Amino acid sequence: MTVHGLLNSITEPFSYAFMQRALLSCALIGFTNGFLGTFVILRRQALLTDALSHSLLPGLAVAAILVGLSPAGLLLGGLLAALLVALGGQLIARNSRLKDETAVAALYIIAFAIGILLLRYARVKVDLVHFLFGNILGVGDGDLLISYGAAALTLGILVPFQRPVLLTLFDTSVARASGIRTGWIEAGLLALIVLALVASLQAVGVLLSLGLLILPAATAYLMTDSFSRMLWGSAVLGMTGAVAGLLLSFLANIPSGPCIVLVLALFLGTTYLFSPRHGVLVRFFRGRHLHEESLRRWTGHEGHDHDLPGKS
Amino acid sequence: MRVETHPDPLLVVEDLTVSYHRVPAIHHLSFSLGRGHCTGIFGPNGAGKSTLLKSIAGLLRPETGRILIGRRELPKAAPLIAYLPQRESVDWDFPVTVRGLVEMGRYHHAGLLRPFSKKDDEAVDGALELFGLAELACRQIKELSGGQQQRAFLARAWAQEADLYLLDEPFAGLDRGSSANLAGALRTLASRGKLLLVSHHALSEAIGLFDTAILLNGEMVACGPTPETLSPRNLECAYGTAVYSGHHHHDHR
Repeated sequence: MTVHGLLNSITEPFSYAFMQRALLSCALIGFTNGFLGTFVILRRQALLTDALSHSLLPGLAVAAILVGLSPAGLLLGGLLAALLVALGGQLIARNSRLKDETAVAALYIIAFAIGILLLRYARVKVDLVHFLFGNILGVGDGDLLISYGAAALTLGILVPFQRPVLLTLFDTSVARASGIRTGWIEAGLLALIVLALVASLQAVGVLLSLGLLILPAATAYLMTDSFSRMLWGSAVLGMTGAVAGLLLSFLANIPSGPCIVLVLALFLGTTYLFSPRHGVLVRFFRGRHLHEESLRRWTGHEGHDHDLPGKS
Repeated sequence: MRVETHPDPLLVVEDLTVSYHRVPAIHHLSFSLGRGHCTGIFGPNGAGKSTLLKSIAGLLRPETGRILIGRRELPKAAPLIAYLPQRESVDWDFPVTVRGLVEMGRYHHAGLLRPFSKKDDEAVDGALELFGLAELACRQIKELSGGQQQRAFLARAWAQEADLYLLDEPFAGLDRGSSANLAGALRTLASRGKLLLVSHHALSEAIGLFDTAILLNGEMVACGPTPETLSPRNLECAYGTAVYSGHHHHDHR
């Protein structure tokens, strides 16, 4: 392939209107999900979020039956179903012996089953595969609007409230003791996460939407010890990965959803091994140095402080 | 029972009862404490040490009675309180440095959006200096020793300008050097006019660590200067009888 041909194949995707829309959509949802992923990771709610993404299905089905495939209807249906599962899980956990992750898991799988059955009765012919895996090239103006809305709401709420949200994430009981309404913050985060999941449905579907939330944030978590760097870094990684994944899928003519997730996975795999501070390989080769440090302590060169590290 | 009265107490607890699922954990506690004391809370397991701390922090709702801090009730008094959680409940992998942690203490002063002022930065620097953490300020919180971690949380409370420090078993899991280190930090705080309320499971060394003591057994057994409060007779009373749990359950064996 000549240089000219290579350039052509790179710029070609940008010349189609459907591709421009798809790229814009990817950039938006990649950014929003990456941003929110930080909160999911730090609250250790990756699996709860997975449950929420699955529970979107019955909501989508009900919306498809009632109002057809309009983006607004789907948004509302998905939002309601996910919130019902999340709140229902909390309710069951509080009133019974079941722990909340059991309750949420039970509810979401029941919801998922109901969703599959309901989709058979949708008035319009709905392809289950479309909901499960998405179709980024079919992004319409309504979908774009939702992506814009999700990004604007997420940034518009979380940037001004960054301080109380950070306190809540770090230690909920201390935040509550200092007068922060942690219940509202947790509920707000949940609603934003569901909104982001719904916004990414068209692009990657119910099953892969979790990847956009979790993978960039996990990557950033391994890269930095600063909350704000993790937050914005994860957002930029999510955006980059989603756009790169889409371009790759176009050039190689392979499905876009898995392609996006795998590009993000490549980011994570690389940092897992090579992150300068928390990478597995890097830590492995640092072994000798730690040994010397420990030896120095025992021989008493740091006599002013008797504390030994690593007891947490 | 001897309850000290202060002319101008910082903390006043009146007739405090707190229950979990309708089973009372502490019963009708009343006491008041002034500034500049390091107060240990003692008692057997289930005596209500953590419950007392959590209810003063506003994390549990009192069933009877009230709590006044600087003559104000919660939530108005919240800025005066610093609650230090048990070490296990902290996520030590959280992406925050020692400095970032101490800066959290200033969020209340800075509000939602205002960038940190010179006064905020000075408060953070002062807190780091006071607790000997200035050189460790850029470390992630896991890279500290146990004693340094506790001091970092105390520094956050100092930056917050809290008056009442509530510490839940801060000495648990610390080795001797770290314990001595933490004890020094607590004494510094008391000497600067702060009131510290510390739950503690071990009775040995109690006199060295705390000038006042509260002895609980679901109910108040004694409260006052440590040597008198932890007298053999009081200890027999606190540890020798079963903790009152609200259930009149007798096991005749």
